[in-house]
Amino acid sequence: MIRKVLLGSILWTLLISVLHVQLNVGWSKLARDLQSQLGEKTDELVVGFLPVT
Amino acid sequence: MTTHSDTGTAFQSRKFTDWPTVKEALISKEVGGVFILAPLAMQLVADGVPIKVVYLGHRDGTALVVDKQSSAQDFGDLAGKTIAIPSRYANQNLLMHKLMREWNMPEDSIDLRELPPPEHPIALQSGSIDGYIVGEPFAAKGEIDGIGRVLYQTKDIWPDFISCVLVVRDDLIEDQPDLVQELVTGIARSGKWLDDDMDHRMNAADIAAEHYYFQPPELLKYVLSKPVDRVKYTRLTPLRNEFDEIMELALDIGVLSRRVEFEEYADDRFAVAVEAAGWSFDELPAADKGDL
Repeated sequence: MIRKVLLGSILWTLLISVLHVQLNVGWSKLARDLQSQLGEKTDELVVGFLPVT
Repeated sequence: MTTHSDTGTAFQSRKFTDWPTVKEALISKEVGGVFILAPLAMQLVADGVPIKVVYLGHRDGTALVVDKQSSAQDFGDLAGKTIAIPSRYANQNLLMHKLMREWNMPEDSIDLRELPPPEHPIALQSGSIDGYIVGEPFAAKGEIDGIGRVLYQTKDIWPDFISCVLVVRDDLIEDQPDLVQELVTGIARSGKWLDDDMDHRMNAADIAAEHYYFQPPELLKYVLSKPVDRVKYTRLTPLRNEFDEIMELALDIGVLSRRVEFEEYADDRFAVAVEAAGWSFDELPAADKGDL
């Protein structure tokens, strides 16, 4: 019984996490955040503009 | 506002309010690139600023506006009038001189007055100018506010008019060409998305109004739809013959201090690579032009 509850909890946590990333975070953002956490350098470019066409 | 590309590159936009600050930001490497007036980009290169034009910002998107009560029916009626221009380095200035030549008018027959674009409609309303020529959304603002009337859209007097161009620092092109390519490709994809569907344009107007232009969304929606080809975001490769015409005109009227060749100020390899991707650049929103 305990084993079933534990397995169910793990599966539920996994499912809800996958749904959260899919619906709220986005896989590309998650990948970027992980890269950043792991210390990988990402490119950055600042582009200027004036608010007229 | 920062956005990330599919590959994780962070593209951050920075708003400026005047051209001299833009120049300083380029020189001090505060920005990697900037959307800037085409003749100003040429003059910066003539002054030794190491930048290249890599793409256009848009085509058309400028109008010559006169007072709503004005009796002017064509360009010849503007003789003796005062017309505001955004900058002497703006292509709008060059267009006014081009038209004066085409209409056989002396080049001092219209008093051209430099004014920051947001002040154009205000100056027209106050009566201190008789009209103005400027990039959107300030031409449309005069219309919507009931102050002005469009005498000409640039698409009718200089088709495929070029106003702002994207310039990037030379060191960035040399050291990080993939990053520049990613930027140009992203802008091209955005332009195609905009010109593919009117719903996309309306969506973009909402986003740009809130995050970039700080203008009412209705104004930007008007700009992007009335008529639909008022401003275009495709076919943005810098073309030598078009830039040669701008350069010769700028040199002729004394805006440029010296002749600059296309290779000195432009690098079209990134735009050419976008073209090679095989996208169709002939599409505008499905509705008939002028019907929206």
